[in-house]
Amino acid sequence: MAREKDILDELCQKVIEGEIEETYLLAQEVLEMGLDPLKAIDEGLIPGIVEVGRRYDVGEYYLPELMMAAEAMKRGLEPLEERISEMGVQRQTLGVVVIGTVKGDLHDIGKSIVATMLSANGFTVHDLGVDVSPDRFLAQVEETGADILAMSALLPTTMLYMETVIQEAQKRGLRDRIKIMVGGAPVTAAFAQRIRADGYGDNAFDAVRLARQFMGIQ
Amino acid sequence: MARRGIRGGLLEFIEERDLDQFYFAILEILNEVGVHMEYQPALEMLRDHGAQVDFDNRVVKIDEAMLKQALLTAPSSFTLYGKSSDWDVKVDLERVYTIGGSCALSVLDLEGNHRPALREDLVQFTRLLDALPNLDIMHQMVVPSDVLETGYELINFSTCFTHTTRNYYSQALSVESVQDQIKMAAVIQGSEEEACRNPMFTEVVCMISPLKHGRLMSAVLMESARHAIPLYIEVDALCGATTPVPIAGTLVEQAANVLAGVVLAQLINPGTPCIFSIASGIADMRTGAYCGGAPETNLIHAATAQIAHYFGLPYQGGTCIDAKLPDAQAGYERALQVLTNILAGTNFVHLSYGMMEQMLLASYEQCVIDEEIISCAFHIAKGFEVNDFTLSVELLRRVGPLGDHFLTQKETRDYYRQVRWEPTITNRDRWDAWERAGAKDMRQMANERARAILAEDRPLAVTQEQAEEIERIAQDGVKRALARRGQAEE
Repeated sequence: MAREKDILDELCQKVIEGEIEETYLLAQEVLEMGLDPLKAIDEGLIPGIVEVGRRYDVGEYYLPELMMAAEAMKRGLEPLEERISEMGVQRQTLGVVVIGTVKGDLHDIGKSIVATMLSANGFTVHDLGVDVSPDRFLAQVEETGADILAMSALLPTTMLYMETVIQEAQKRGLRDRIKIMVGGAPVTAAFAQRIRADGYGDNAFDAVRLARQFMGIQ
Repeated sequence: MARRGIRGGLLEFIEERDLDQFYFAILEILNEVGVHMEYQPALEMLRDHGAQVDFDNRVVKIDEAMLKQALLTAPSSFTLYGKSSDWDVKVDLERVYTIGGSCALSVLDLEGNHRPALREDLVQFTRLLDALPNLDIMHQMVVPSDVLETGYELINFSTCFTHTTRNYYSQALSVESVQDQIKMAAVIQGSEEEACRNPMFTEVVCMISPLKHGRLMSAVLMESARHAIPLYIEVDALCGATTPVPIAGTLVEQAANVLAGVVLAQLINPGTPCIFSIASGIADMRTGAYCGGAPETNLIHAATAQIAHYFGLPYQGGTCIDAKLPDAQAGYERALQVLTNILAGTNFVHLSYGMMEQMLLASYEQCVIDEEIISCAFHIAKGFEVNDFTLSVELLRRVGPLGDHFLTQKETRDYYRQVRWEPTITNRDRWDAWERAGAKDMRQMANERARAILAEDRPLAVTQEQAEEIERIAQDGVKRALARRGQAEE
């Protein structure tokens, strides 16, 4: 079992170092060794991302290290989750999130940081990219049975589409089934309240905190 | 008489031979990597003139010959017109001007409240800025929350254009909006032809890094170029996040991005003035936040002047600062920013009045403080004369080592007013005198000055009838914009 502990430690280490492809290859190796993919996640990937969060909090890591670690985590999860679903087991997810930048807006980066952080923190994230129409947002919510809808905008004009999406969700009877969070440079808590979103995040960490709160997780 | 700004360009960060390396790098990106353009008519236009277009991915590649052809027709000098010739701006590659704005969502008002911007703020900011002598080009300072809806930029146009004597830096969020804005300018210029021939307003189009031109921005660019409305073709890099961390790499991305727009504009209408524009900033690697006041941001803005001028294009740089209050941080950030830009020869120092907090906040007091800083920076950039008179050998000989001082010399009395910088809200008193005068800090001084300016009776820049006609066109345009949006959603 020493070998098993070694490889899980290594997996953890690769996440901490943000080695995206190596994390993926190592995760495959874990499966080839016949190890339990759930254990690989719980004792390899997750301790890695927890350590990364700690390093960020104490000011040792900055956004690039954090993002690369989160990408490594996501890449490592791919083969592991595939195996888990083959086993017919449902890996626990903290919640399903549909996320995108609203119609008319091509600004990607803030939304992508939030998507990556949510995903690395145990949420299942469907990132629709940029310029997402109200219809695409809501169709995806219906299709995935999402718990959370997250919308981003950088421009004060495109920000207005958030309200359109929320009104449309109301019309389709989806509004009460989901929690809606909004963010982006021009968005404020007051704006979120006015358009009847459920919450507003100032940054990616705030978004994770909010998503956990939505799902009733401490 | 038209305005002729002082000449910048004293400060250079890129050596001559390195400029050629930038040129080759930019060409390689344009020709081999390409720019993503969403707008189909833009892609078709570029393809028809020899660009290599991947219609599936909407990526356009532009070769050196196409670029050179565009640069041949893009003017390096032109005039932007004000309401009177006193405010006509003679643009070239050396002279430096300022632009106010832009688009803050919140204001820090004169009572010290932080609150959402209103249309009344847009009126008051425009009146305040119009009274400041170093402001050359007017732009919308705020996005008023009480008129923020589809087509709101027409209301902003009506508000600013009727209150300013300066050339108006506008924004259009639809093709029809460009047409409506020409109609509004025509109200005072007599005809649409005249409004396009001697433009009293310009359009800004904002491109996204890395290497992306959104559908709307290309459409507005093309429509503006059709009418020869001067264009600020702007890229807003977030250095480290949406462009490479090295400043050199950011300069390469910015140039490839902007030049793709210049090529398109020149194809549509050769000779359309195109201003190479940036509002880039570095990303704070802790949070990803945009930092306008950072020293690295100043380096980007100064160095981009050299890149833009290399291509023979006038250049807009400058951005917001990061401070939230008119405090010591605001003062140092703005001072370094405008001085760096002016010395570098940034032809339009943009966002340099009152813009704070990641472009989200506009402060009345800071506008007045910034006028003082800008005035000071221009004075430094002007430098001083060297000739027989100023070397003063005769004067020094006359007073000599046994003389007392120069205050009673004729040369002193005759010359000092020509070279003296006049403080307005800067205090130079000693403690006791300053205390007797109320012990006011600069923010208080600025507050009083702003109130005094706003209390002055300033007439509209157009007649009442013209203002009403312009407002009617704007309101009508908003109605049509809302109807179009409604249709698009059905």
